Amino acid sequence: MDTHRRVAITGIGMVTPVGNDVETTWDALLTGRSGTAPITLFDASGFPVRIAAEVKGFRAEDVDVPRKTLKLTNRSHRFALAAAEQALRDAGIRPQPDTAARWCCAVGAGMMTSSYGELAETHDHSGASGELDAGLLLSDPAANDPLVFCRSQASAGLALVTSCFGIEGYATAVHTACASGGQALGTALKLIRRGSADFALAGGFDSMVSPIGISGFVLLSALSTDNDTPERASRPFDLSRNGFVLGEGAGFLVLEEWEAARRRGARIYAELAGDGNSLSSYRITDSPPDGDGPIQAMRAALADAGAAPGDVDYLNAHGTSTGMNDRSETAAVRAVFGDGVDNVSVSSTKSTMGHLIAAAGAVEGVVCALAIHRSEVPINANLVDRDPECDLNIVTGAARRQRVRVAISNSFGFGGSNSCIVLRNPLEVDGKGAQG
Amino acid sequence: MSGSRILITGTGAVCGAGMGPEAILDAVCAGRSALAPITLWDTAGWPCRVAAEIPDFNPRTLVEDRKLHKLIRRTDLVGIYAAGSALAAAGVVTHRDSLEESAAATFNDRSGVFVGSGGGNYQNQYDFFPLMTEAHGDLAAFGRELTNAVNPMWLLRTLPNNVLGHLGIKYMLKGPNTCITNHSCAGAQTVIEAAAALRAGEADRAVAVGHDTPIEPEMVLYYYRLGLLASSELLPFDARRTGSLFGEGGGAMVLETEASAAARGAPIVGEYLGGGYACEAQGLIAIRDDGDGVVRAVRQALDDAGLRAADVGMIVAHGNGTPQSDASEAAAIRTVFGTASPPVTGFKWSFGHLIAAAGILEATVALASLKRGTVPGIAVWSRPDPDCAGVPVSASAQTPTSDVALVICRGFASTNAALLIRAL
Repeated sequence: MDTHRRVAITGIGMVTPVGNDVETTWDALLTGRSGTAPITLFDASGFPVRIAAEVKGFRAEDVDVPRKTLKLTNRSHRFALAAAEQALRDAGIRPQPDTAARWCCAVGAGMMTSSYGELAETHDHSGASGELDAGLLLSDPAANDPLVFCRSQASAGLALVTSCFGIEGYATAVHTACASGGQALGTALKLIRRGSADFALAGGFDSMVSPIGISGFVLLSALSTDNDTPERASRPFDLSRNGFVLGEGAGFLVLEEWEAARRRGARIYAELAGDGNSLSSYRITDSPPDGDGPIQAMRAALADAGAAPGDVDYLNAHGTSTGMNDRSETAAVRAVFGDGVDNVSVSSTKSTMGHLIAAAGAVEGVVCALAIHRSEVPINANLVDRDPECDLNIVTGAARRQRVRVAISNSFGFGGSNSCIVLRNPLEVDGKGAQG
Repeated sequence: MSGSRILITGTGAVCGAGMGPEAILDAVCAGRSALAPITLWDTAGWPCRVAAEIPDFNPRTLVEDRKLHKLIRRTDLVGIYAAGSALAAAGVVTHRDSLEESAAATFNDRSGVFVGSGGGNYQNQYDFFPLMTEAHGDLAAFGRELTNAVNPMWLLRTLPNNVLGHLGIKYMLKGPNTCITNHSCAGAQTVIEAAAALRAGEADRAVAVGHDTPIEPEMVLYYYRLGLLASSELLPFDARRTGSLFGEGGGAMVLETEASAAARGAPIVGEYLGGGYACEAQGLIAIRDDGDGVVRAVRQALDDAGLRAADVGMIVAHGNGTPQSDASEAAAIRTVFGTASPPVTGFKWSFGHLIAAAGILEATVALASLKRGTVPGIAVWSRPDPDCAGVPVSASAQTPTSDVALVICRGFASTNAALLIRAL
C-alpha cells in the first residue's frame, strides 16, 4: 500500500561554500573549485585550524523575509531560508491556504547554540570569574533578550521555515550529527509515502564556523590542519588525508507525490526512491573498519527503492577525508556492490565544498538529483595518491558525462547513525510504468 | 490504516514524581506534586524559583557504567535510564541473548531506536568560560590555549543525539533510528515514527524515548521573560493559571509488531492505535487561539486508528498551564468532541513540563492509568475558566469511558501531536 506512492524531486536549492545558488555550486563541483580558504568569520590566528569552507558573499538582506523575522535568525537559518526559497521557486509550487496542511517539512538542524558574541556577553557579565554566577544572569542583557533565545533554540530553524512558507502539516527537526540532512530527506519521503503529506520541503542547514563550533572538532583532532594549502586540505580517499574541512550552508528540496507532480507537468529531477538507516553501535566517533552499519543502511535503502546494486551508477560518498571514515566506507561499499563495485562512479563532493555537518546529507541529495538530471558526475577533487585501502572507481581529474540510472548518497554521523538515500532517474521510473 | 497491530511491550519513565510509570501514577493519584523550590542553583531573587527536579539525583542509579558519566550530560542519563527500563520490562535484551549468533545479529539489525532530545543546553557552553577569562577577549589567545583549557570530549558531551548513540552501543540495537530535536513534540513523535517504521516493515521492534532536563538558569530566565513560566504554581485549565513550570525526566516505550511479540512471547501492556501531527505555521512561540493544530492532529490520529471521537475513553491533555495554550487546547477539544468529551486530565501540575520528554512520558502514565481504570484528577484545579468550558477536568479522579487514551502534546514552532493508545 505504502510503496505505491512514489515521490518526485521537483525543486532544489543550495547555499554552499562554493556558491550561493544551484548553478554556481554545481559548476564548482564539476571542476573541483575549492571552497576552502583561511577563516574570515573570526580571528582564527591562534587556532591549530585556521581554514574552513565558509559561505562567501552571502548578505542577510538577500533573504526575502521581513526585517522583524530576520532578527530571529542566526547565520544557518538565513542559509536555510535562502535555499528553501530557491527550491520552492524552482519547483514552481508552494504552500497555499488550501494545500498548507498537506505540506510537511523535515529539516536536519545544526546543534543548538548561541553565537560566540552572545556567549562572550554572558561570560563578561555573568561568568567573568570563569564560572557562571547565576545571580548575575538576572541583569545580563543577553540572558534576558528573547531574541537570543529564539535564535538559539533547536527548533528555531523549523519554526522559521514553516512560518515563512506557510507549512501546516507534519513538521520535524532531526539531529543525528552528520547524518541529519540525509535523515531529514528520508523522513520527508516516508511522510509522503504513508499519506501524511502530499508535498514536502525538506533539507538541512548548519554553520559551525565559529570559535566554539570549530573548537569542538579541534578538541577531537577531527579537522585537517593543512592551513597553508587550504584548497587541498579536503582530499577524501587520498593516502595523505588528515581530517575533514568544516563547511557551512544549506540544501533544500521540494518533494511531491509522483502522479500529482506529473499531472501538473512539473520538471522532475529524480525520484526520491529509497531511504535506509542503521546504527553502527560501535563507538561514538569511530566507524567500524569492516563497514558494519553503513552496509545495512545501503542495503536497506536499495531494497526500499526496489533497486539492485547493479542499477547504481553514482555514489555520492560520505567521504569526509578522515582516515577512518574513508576506509570504513570503502569496505562497506565493496561489501554492498561486490564484483560490480567498479561499475559505480564514486565521488565525495566534500573534497570541494567541505563538510556541511547537519546540512551535508541534504546538499549531497541535491547533488545526486543534479547528477541524474544533467547526466554528469562531479569529481572527487584532490585525489592524488590513492589510499590502497580506498579502492573504488573514484571520479578524478574531470567530471564524467554519463547517464545515471540510480544515484545514492551516504551520510554517517557521530553517534553511529548511518543514512543512505536512493534517487532514480525519471526515465527509469517511466520505463517501469507498468510495475509502478 | 495498517494491517498489522503495533503492540507496546514495555514502558519506562523517570521524573520528579518517581521512577517508573506506576510510581509516577501513584504520586499523581495521591495528589502529590514534585514541583518545589529549585535546588540546582541559588534562586534567591529569581522571579521563578520552582521546578520539578528528580529528587536525590544520582547518576549511578540511572546509569551504572561510571566511565560513561564523563561522556554524557544529565539529560542523557535520564534518557538512557528510561529506555533501559522499557527494554528490560519488554525483555528485549534477555531474549536476544538467548538466540544463537546469526539470529541475534538479525534481531539487532531489526531493532530500532527513536529518540526525542531537548537538543542542547546553555550550560555546556559555559565550559569555555575559564578559557574565555584567561584569553581576556583575545580570540587568538583563546585559540592558542584551547586544547590546554577545555576537555577534549567537550563536543561529545554536547551532542544532542548522545542517547541514541549510547543506547545503540549499550544494547546493540542497530536498526532504523533517529534523534528528533523538535522541542516538546519530540517525545510523542518518536512513538509515531517508531510505529511508522514497524508498519512499513523496516524493523520488528523499536524503543522510543524522550528525555530532557531543561532546569538550568539561562533556560528558566528566557522562558520566564517570554511569559511562558509561572512564578510558583502550574494550574492547568484553572482560571488562576499564569504559566508553566519545568520538570526533568525521560519516558520510553518498546513498540513491537504482533509477529515479533508473539514469536518471543513478549509481555503485552498496550497497543499503539494511531498518531497525528500538525503545525500551525505561527513561528517559534506564537500559537493560534482556535486550537486548529490540535484539532487536525487529533482528527488525523483518529483516522489513523480507525476510531471515532466517541471511542476515546480519556484525554491526557497537554495542559501546560499557560493562559493561551490551555484555552486553545480546550477550544480544540470542544471542536473535536463537542459536548460529549470523555474525562480530561493532565499531569504537568504534578511533575512539571518535561519539554522533549513530555508527550511520551505522559503516554506511559496514561497507559498505567487505563490499566488501573482511573483518570487521575488534577489535584490543584479548583476554579473553572470559562475559556476552558466544555473540558471535563476535575480535582478528583474520574473513570475512563473506554480502554483508549488520547495523549495531546504541543511544542514550539506551533507544532501539535496526538497519540492514541489502548491498554491490554
